[in-house]
Amino acid sequence: MRIFRQLTIIFAICVAGEILHRIVGIPLPGNIIGMVLLLILLCTKLVKPQQIAEVSNFFLSHLAFFFLPPSIAIMAVGDDILGRWPLLLFLCISFTLVTIAFTGWATQFLIRRQERRESRGSEP
Amino acid sequence: MNAIINSPLFGILLSLAAFEIGTVISKKWRHTLLNPLLIANVLIVGFLLTTGISLESYNVGGNYIAVMLSPATVVLAIPLYRQISSLKKYWKPILAGILTGSLTSIACVLFFGKLLNLGDTLTRSLLPKSITIPMGSVVSEQIGGIPSVTIIAITITGITGAVAAPAICKLCRIKHSVAQGVAIGTASHALGTSRAMEIGEVQGAMSSLSIGLAGLFTAIVAPIILSAL
Repeated sequence: MRIFRQLTIIFAICVAGEILHRIVGIPLPGNIIGMVLLLILLCTKLVKPQQIAEVSNFFLSHLAFFFLPPSIAIMAVGDDILGRWPLLLFLCISFTLVTIAFTGWATQFLIRRQERRESRGSEP
Repeated sequence: MNAIINSPLFGILLSLAAFEIGTVISKKWRHTLLNPLLIANVLIVGFLLTTGISLESYNVGGNYIAVMLSPATVVLAIPLYRQISSLKKYWKPILAGILTGSLTSIACVLFFGKLLNLGDTLTRSLLPKSITIPMGSVVSEQIGGIPSVTIIAITITGITGAVAAPAICKLCRIKHSVAQGVAIGTASHALGTSRAMEIGEVQGAMSSLSIGLAGLFTAIVAPIILSAL
């Protein structure tokens, strides 16, 4: 279990991410740098997933709750934006459909090309 | 009463109660459109507007919860790490596909933002709408958008992906299971991924891998494109 050790590891990575962003000046948000740092620590086996299992499972399974407070600030957004919500809703939905189609086509095209090359390469 | 309303406990209690109601409703009817975050958002905004309690009072407590966004993003590395081995065979098509998707989403917003005269702030708020909320909200803030607008746009995007992804894949003849997963995760983050997991194991794994990578690509690419314009 060692909850305090798990929290210490995760919050230390958060702070390291903030230091790299604010002091070193890497132009990515601190929490995203933190995610990359943890990924590096996991790949190099310096941190094992089970060492932070409970805390990370808690955050991963209740992720949406932590976005609730920032989302409430929508009520302070001006009417010039809120008044256009039908347009914004339409745009969000159609952009999503276009993005799914383009991503799927590109990935599938490249996979098939790779498969064709490999099957050609394996022939005598 | 003011002392209570302006204590952190008020905002925290309101958030917990609203999210619990949202979760119960969404579990009871099991419909993708009934997203707990959207329900809780509507409940709290409605409550604050009816009672006349200010956003500032709510945020005294709300800010305590929002601090946890940072560790919540960091642990996204874990599902990414678990799926990295599934990259092996098709890593080039997958990475190129995710990059294509991130650029498509950004290009759509920039092009129609200009065409429909959405204005700079709104365009920037919509730019990170395909990526997961903890990343999208900070990217939005960094590039000069309004995080709350971004969060709502991301949620709508996610719901769209979860509802429509199978139909779109069928319509566009995206048949390869790896391509389906990459498309769903890149376009509609974790909400879409929940649907991808129902379609199949490969789709689910590819979709969850794509969440973190699409977020990372967008966080890197969006500021560069904006500064080049």
